[in-house]
Amino acid sequence: MQLQSKIQDFVAAGINVFSLSYDEQDALADFRDAYDITYGLLSDPESKVIRQFGILNTLIGEDDHPWFGIPFPGTYVVNSEGLISHKFFENNLQLRVGPEMLLRVAQGDAIEHSKTDSEAPAETAWHVYLDGDRLAASVLNDLVARIEVPGGRHLYADPAPAGNLPVALTLDDDPQIVTRDVMKPESESLTIGGTGEVIQVYEGAVELRLPITVNADLGVAETEAREITLAGELQWQSCDDQVCDLPRRERFKLTIPLASIVVSELRASADGVLVRSMNSVKHFKRLSDRRQVLDVKESIKGVGDK
Amino acid sequence: MTIEMDTSGEEVEGGWRDQDGFVTYIQPGKGPRSSPRGEYSTGPDVGSPMPNVHCLDSFGQPFNLHDVSAGKPAIFIFLRSAVW
Repeated sequence: MQLQSKIQDFVAAGINVFSLSYDEQDALADFRDAYDITYGLLSDPESKVIRQFGILNTLIGEDDHPWFGIPFPGTYVVNSEGLISHKFFENNLQLRVGPEMLLRVAQGDAIEHSKTDSEAPAETAWHVYLDGDRLAASVLNDLVARIEVPGGRHLYADPAPAGNLPVALTLDDDPQIVTRDVMKPESESLTIGGTGEVIQVYEGAVELRLPITVNADLGVAETEAREITLAGELQWQSCDDQVCDLPRRERFKLTIPLASIVVSELRASADGVLVRSMNSVKHFKRLSDRRQVLDVKESIKGVGDK
Repeated sequence: MTIEMDTSGEEVEGGWRDQDGFVTYIQPGKGPRSSPRGEYSTGPDVGSPMPNVHCLDSFGQPFNLHDVSAGKPAIFIFLRSAVW
């Protein structure tokens, strides 16, 4: 649903979107109709494609119904030459990459290209924002920190020389917030005149991206509009060829709306009760039954062979 | 490649909480929470050609990735399930 809400951005950029799962075709048709899905939904009920890609979740036993057959979930970004330009897989299967991150990468605006050609500011400028208009449980969005320094100045990358401060973005501890590693652009080598020491720096501007999401209790329907506060610190130290400014540590606080994805899966039935939009119970039972039927056939065949 | 199961988590009211704080009624290491620990297979490498995909779409029509996506960028998602 998060993806569908942004699908027009992909369409406008000429990017095709497909989602494949081990669900039966009629389950996907129900899903498509219940949520007005316009991107491609693909059915792989025997997990043939999933096996072809080598991403079958082999931690699940073949007799573990209905779970056997699911992939390690992940996303491939394919460029116009048909080559895989990026892929996203998370060890925690609850997590998935949000549409904003996918769109940015598919458009070739990867982290290594985060510099701009804009004119250098007269004074150091910094900005922290969420790349997205809300956070949804399990869906990763980037918290972006951008620092720009006047021409001729640089920022220390990590590790910084002893006694100096590298660029860093940290969030205050909050048990509701899940983070992954900060993504930074490649730093540049700078040789200090006189000593010949080589240090790692960013010249002009740097953009850090911290993938974050929230871990709302997935089993509970949240019916209220909610928001979450992201508080943390951005640090850096700016220098020119001769001298360094004092290290800077700036606090930030952002209030971000939380998407109620569970509510979005509900609709009012004829008698006014909120029910799930698609008949998941029927399809779930079928997912479970279909392999048990196969097992029974196999065992009967086995008996006949003896 | 031998893949290890990540079973870390704790039982809490209403289910189990994993290392990232997600609480569901399914215990980490069981069924849909069969998460890998460390390295595991994530399929074709970055830089390699996207393999073709043949299957049915949600309308029951044959799907051929290379036919429909030739010359265009694409996002291809492997989802666990649209049902649950």
